[in-house]
Amino acid sequence: MSKKVKFLSVCGSGVVTSHMMANKIVDMLSDEGYDAEADECNPSELDGYLMRGKYDFIANSSPIGNSHGIPAFSAMGLITGLGDNEFLEKVLDLLHKEGK
Amino acid sequence: MLLRKELVNVGIEASSQKDLLLKLANQFLAEGLVKPSFLQAILDREAVYPTGLPATAFDIAIPHCAASNVNETSMAVATLKHPVEFQQMGSVEITLHPQVVFMLAIQDPDKQLETLQKIMGVIQDKKLLEDIRAAKTVDELYGLLAPKVS
Repeated sequence: MSKKVKFLSVCGSGVVTSHMMANKIVDMLSDEGYDAEADECNPSELDGYLMRGKYDFIANSSPIGNSHGIPAFSAMGLITGLGDNEFLEKVLDLLHKEGK
Repeated sequence: MLLRKELVNVGIEASSQKDLLLKLANQFLAEGLVKPSFLQAILDREAVYPTGLPATAFDIAIPHCAASNVNETSMAVATLKHPVEFQQMGSVEITLHPQVVFMLAIQDPDKQLETLQKIMGVIQDKKLLEDIRAAKTVDELYGLLAPKVS
């Protein structure tokens, strides 16, 4: 039974970049044994999404304001292919701390 | 994914970022691929959420905007004659000088995940980026990119 993870992917238009990042993150987490699900939005929609859903973390490519205590990691490197390992490490670190 | 030769540019000249963005956006418009609102939407989006990326081979940029401005998913590519400044995605205080710009018009991101993944594949391919930059003619550049995004 895979461990479930839910995250929010945030980019400027809430469309292209967030999709690219979300997809890559789901794949990377799947390799680690997690069943990850992503929602996507732009920074102005962030508050609304955080109020309505429970997320383990946020992956963002554009600066976001207050993330209301949800850990946020810059995921821009996932698109260029530079720094995706660091990103994965941070996320895994967080998930292990949460007991997942 | 639609890559047409009309949207492939080798050594494009642009006096500024705005000039470059409008030149490329107008190519989409001329082919009926986007709505007229696309032009301003591209400029607006870039100003607030820049799309410069420090990619593996050299800096690039991937300007795009909301799907509501798009009629048909398509892509323009341009290698630049002179560097043009773009701010870095997520870090607006950092200025990059992209050598290749990919302008994206995505009509339905949910249904076009495969297309986006192919684009990501291109961005992460160091050798391909270098070949694209070195292309001397539209046909050459088209030949390099078309198979990767179709």
